Amino acid sequence: MNTHDNTNPAADDAGEPRYAIDAQNVQLTYSDGTRAVNGVDIQIPEGEFFGFLGPNGAGKTTTIKTLVTLLSPTSGEITVNGFDVRTDPRAVRESVGYMAQETSVDSELTARENIRFACEAYGVPRSARGDRIDELLDLVDLAGVSDKQAEEFSGGMKKRLDAAMALVHQPPLVFLDEPTTGLDPKARNRLWEYFQRINDQGTTIFLTTQYLEEADQLCDRLSVILDGEIVATGPPADLKRRVGGEILDVDLEDGKDASDRAAAVVRETDIFNSEAMVEVTEDGISVTSENARERGTDLLVALRDEGLTVTGFNIRAPTLDDVFLAITGDEMDDDQAVTGDEAATAAEVEQ
Amino acid sequence: MSTPSTEADADVHRVSNSFVGDVWTNFKRWNLKAVRNPFVLVVSLVQPIIFLLLFTEVFGQIAGGAINRGGGAGISYETYLVPAIAIQVSLAAAITSGIGLVNDIEEGMFEKILATPMNRTAVFVGKTAAEVLRIVVQVGIILGLGVLLGAEIATGLIGAVGIMLVGLLFSLWFIALSNAAAVITKDQESTIIAANLLQFPLLFLSSAFLPLDALPEWIQTFARFNPVTYGVDAARALMLDQDVMTVVEVTQFSGIWNTLVPAIVVLAVLDLVLGAVAVFLLTRATSSDVK
Repeated sequence: MNTHDNTNPAADDAGEPRYAIDAQNVQLTYSDGTRAVNGVDIQIPEGEFFGFLGPNGAGKTTTIKTLVTLLSPTSGEITVNGFDVRTDPRAVRESVGYMAQETSVDSELTARENIRFACEAYGVPRSARGDRIDELLDLVDLAGVSDKQAEEFSGGMKKRLDAAMALVHQPPLVFLDEPTTGLDPKARNRLWEYFQRINDQGTTIFLTTQYLEEADQLCDRLSVILDGEIVATGPPADLKRRVGGEILDVDLEDGKDASDRAAAVVRETDIFNSEAMVEVTEDGISVTSENARERGTDLLVALRDEGLTVTGFNIRAPTLDDVFLAITGDEMDDDQAVTGDEAATAAEVEQ
Repeated sequence: MSTPSTEADADVHRVSNSFVGDVWTNFKRWNLKAVRNPFVLVVSLVQPIIFLLLFTEVFGQIAGGAINRGGGAGISYETYLVPAIAIQVSLAAAITSGIGLVNDIEEGMFEKILATPMNRTAVFVGKTAAEVLRIVVQVGIILGLGVLLGAEIATGLIGAVGIMLVGLLFSLWFIALSNAAAVITKDQESTIIAANLLQFPLLFLSSAFLPLDALPEWIQTFARFNPVTYGVDAARALMLDQDVMTVVEVTQFSGIWNTLVPAIVVLAVLDLVLGAVAVFLLTRATSSDVK
């Protein structure tokens, strides 16, 4: 775990922390009235690998587009690399790299021509272009196909080319909007390596993702956004700890009725400790507890004694969905937190 | 509050973008794309060439009568038709401008470019310049082909260059229009259909294929408001070295200038108006729907 000590970020001569991104109370309302971002604060020290998590439609992309000056905030203050996004958007664009969620490469041009275009667009001096292009082609492993048109590339190769185009001017800050969505695990792992490498070289990274695994692997610190508001911030380990243990999924026969009875068994017996939470799922129940692993067998026995038929079970580590569940659960009253309301919340989160 | 990082310690190796440099960058990109995709270039030439060949063969005999009804010197239908085909080429090629924009929007390149420090006006100037260059080359090809088929350019080489410039001036309003359609529909098929739907009525309801006095009254009325008439008349005046414009009677100048001056004024105004509309729509598209 490469946990960044965020109480002591890069500091300038005056000893004040220096932020690659400093956003205060950002709001963004679309002209149709949709409030996509609602009072977001983000402070990212230089050099950090920052993860921005949330389900589809939570406001991740809107936030990133606001930070790269593609959208203008309705209200709030944002400085990126010290430049105000409203009064100095050009300076912001010059000093950041941006890889959009949709792969964006010119498929009629070759890999080399795509990168050259980006070099010209970002003002990489003519004398440095040749070397920079070769360096980037190497970095993203496209040197062997540099003169092939991008339309011949696989999804993963296009993504890598796209990533290279965001790095031409060696920006101190790079935005990556769901860079690995839709990629196979191998391609994903390779991209992770590249991002890790440029972060190791000192580049601040702002990454959005739907995958907790990805954030876990790469990020020093995360924020979770839900319905346009940041609901949690911290190192990945902290966030997972908020879930409070591991999760035992139990599949049952006979539908909702059986599941409700099983949930009652969990609540009325003291198989798990008192912190345990249970929710009714589509196939049965799901129990979150510190001692899910040790006491799981006891629950299965209790369920059989109750006359319920278990068709399957699984113990797993918390996923992003569970983190959301835990976070939204924290905000609810205690007596609500262990009822089916939570399942409804989880379902909303998933869509 | 954060402290701005200075250029030096941020380790950014870059030079400032210049307007001309940004135009050049985009001009090169679109030329490269045109060369990579010669299909588009060929297809937008094929239809006008088919028109040229078919019309001269099928209508040549009959049309010849209508053209020379005034009792003037015998003008061949080839000579009469080539300026119209030159304008048709500009029209067909201008359609691809909007298609290029839609492609860029669909491929995400549009947004990628907006996120760069390039000047946005320069981006569109560079793209349009590449398209205009292609149109001038295509009009040149049509003129060469016309001459091979027996057409005569009465004003010689200077007239040929003039016809290419008329083609350029004529194409701009349609480039603007196809970009406007692209921004509004954001869809390739719709843009192609919208542009093609316009292409044929515009061509036939003009002075392109026959003298207007040989056509029904309502077509003559429509032709008066049809930009194609002004483009074709200007090109034809250069081709024949005659004042051929009938929709607007101008006599202050001498010879072909009585056609060229009003045609150029009309097309320039049209270019400016539709250009402004396209710029407005593009600006709106680039600033997104945020309150």
